[in-house]
Amino acid sequence: MRRRVIITPNSAPRLPSNGRPGRSRIANGLLALGVMLAFSAVGVQLVLLGARANAVRATLAVTEAAPVNFARPDIIDRNGRLLATDVEVPSLFADPALVLDRDELVEKLSTVLPDIDPRQLRGELSDRSRRFVWIRRGLSPKIAQKIHDLGLPSLAFRKELRRAYPGGELAGHVLGGVSIDNKGVAGIEKWIDDNVGVEGVHTAEFSDHAPVRLSLDIGVQHSLEDELDIATRRYKTHAAAGLVMDIRTGEIIASASLPRVDPLFPQTAYDPGHIDRLLTGTYELGSVFKTLTIAMALDEGLATSATVLDVRQPLTAGGFTITDLHPAGRPLSVEEVFTRSSNVGAAMLAVQAGTDRFMSFMKRIGVTGLMKTEVGPVSAPLIPKRVDQIELMTMSYGHGIAVAPLQFAAATASILNGGKRVQPRYVRFTDTPAKPEAVTSELTSREIARLFRLNVLDPSGTGERAEVPGYRVGGKTGTAERADNGRYKEKAVISSFIGAFPMDQPQYLTFVVLFEPEANEESGGHRTASSNAAPTTARIIARIAPQLGVAPLAVSTTQ
Amino acid sequence: MRVLNFAAFFLALSSAFLLYSLSYDTRRLEARVLEKEQLARRARSDIAVLKAEKGHLSRPDRIDPYARALGLGPPRPDQMSSSARLAITQPVEEDHR
Repeated sequence: MRRRVIITPNSAPRLPSNGRPGRSRIANGLLALGVMLAFSAVGVQLVLLGARANAVRATLAVTEAAPVNFARPDIIDRNGRLLATDVEVPSLFADPALVLDRDELVEKLSTVLPDIDPRQLRGELSDRSRRFVWIRRGLSPKIAQKIHDLGLPSLAFRKELRRAYPGGELAGHVLGGVSIDNKGVAGIEKWIDDNVGVEGVHTAEFSDHAPVRLSLDIGVQHSLEDELDIATRRYKTHAAAGLVMDIRTGEIIASASLPRVDPLFPQTAYDPGHIDRLLTGTYELGSVFKTLTIAMALDEGLATSATVLDVRQPLTAGGFTITDLHPAGRPLSVEEVFTRSSNVGAAMLAVQAGTDRFMSFMKRIGVTGLMKTEVGPVSAPLIPKRVDQIELMTMSYGHGIAVAPLQFAAATASILNGGKRVQPRYVRFTDTPAKPEAVTSELTSREIARLFRLNVLDPSGTGERAEVPGYRVGGKTGTAERADNGRYKEKAVISSFIGAFPMDQPQYLTFVVLFEPEANEESGGHRTASSNAAPTTARIIARIAPQLGVAPLAVSTTQ
Repeated sequence: MRVLNFAAFFLALSSAFLLYSLSYDTRRLEARVLEKEQLARRARSDIAVLKAEKGHLSRPDRIDPYARALGLGPPRPDQMSSSARLAITQPVEEDHR
């Protein structure tokens, strides 16, 4: 049915008298057009903004808020060479609620991550109330791409910070390591957490802290580790340790303990076979300890280098007899007691001093107290609870007292540093250290330096094989039988050499400790320090002295 | 009055449009800042990786065997001398005649 429209005079559009649309109608039309254009513009804007936001969101998809991890400052050596830094790595997680087929996911994932535990992963994915399950953290970009290519929708990546150690195992014990969350758990890394500060971050944001500059020198560190490696092979040692210290500042230029640890697996350092033997182990170091006994005798005015001691007869106390390894068969001067390493002579000096004076000196020099470094606390020295005459005698030549090699090295450095206390430091500070406490007189310091040099120059000295032409090396050997279950093992010795150079003005201290070296062809059939630790020290000094800028003198003027 | 109404209406409309534009400009700027931040972060990440790679490639235990293979090694004392001991020779004047 057609609808009829009735036009009444009121409802009919009013036309102007000329019969064309009026101005108001044009204005209305323009207004409508304007509004339409405005809305169109808004619409276009919205579409553009939406597209842009999607693009940004897409790039953000893998960097959304992650569980807290820590941004750490870089670690560099004294010359600015990189030892540790943070890098961004993808970590894989799953959303169990989105997993369609657990078995398929686990099976496909196992093709890329073969070491994954399928049973454990299935168990974790079966709990659909959880929306987040870590599968593997710190993946390489290549592995992440392979996983991405599997096309499993419930898997996603998050960017995290991971610690990288470009030098690998170099200085591993010193650096320590971090946890899965990039938090320091050992060594310098832990010190950084406690003293420099690390920033908790939700995404892979790098630290704004200035790098932490260590006192280590990578070149010297490598030379030390390399030479200790060679010594380990040459003398078939069970383990080896060594350090290079700046005598004037206490800065550790190199510090190594073999077998090494990889800072990526810091927990290895807790394994008894991999501990840092310089800090964590305490050992009876043997005759190197005579350095301290003779310094005590000189400093206390009990003797001079020329004082003669009758060492022809063995000493007895508490049912034990103390003898010399190579009896001289004649009285020896204190100087000779040092160079010929006479146990009887050292014991006589200790007895002459008495327990109180001897122990008081050892406390002053810093071998009986507790020591802390940036790398961690040094193991407390093992000292007899009661020091009778026999204990006093054995301690004078480094038996019956066990100290960490670092602590002993610091004590020796204090003597050679003009008698001023040396505190070992692994971090380079720009501040001026407080005026060090005097622990011996300068005269004692100079005399010990002279004895060190004499022990290397003198053909009858035990350190002859430590000589490096031009570099004026001095030092003292030590060979101690290793204690095992309360008894000394004759063929298992700790052989060491405490050295310094150049002895006309001692700048650097070296300490090499070889654990259970064999008596073989390389050592001339001996296992004493003069035939293994001393030549190892010579090789180390020959390599590091030029790196440290020590100018050699013409050989004729160094004698 | 009519003109005033129209003027007010257009003013309101243009103000709204201006506000919208400003709002969108701000959001666009925000998005651009975010993009730049992303770029900076990516660059920092690349720098960190490059730094680590440089450190890894220049580590002494890698360089050492190459240096030795080229006949280089730690300097010996006899290879060193003080500047005072260096013989300074005068260049010989050539006769160009």
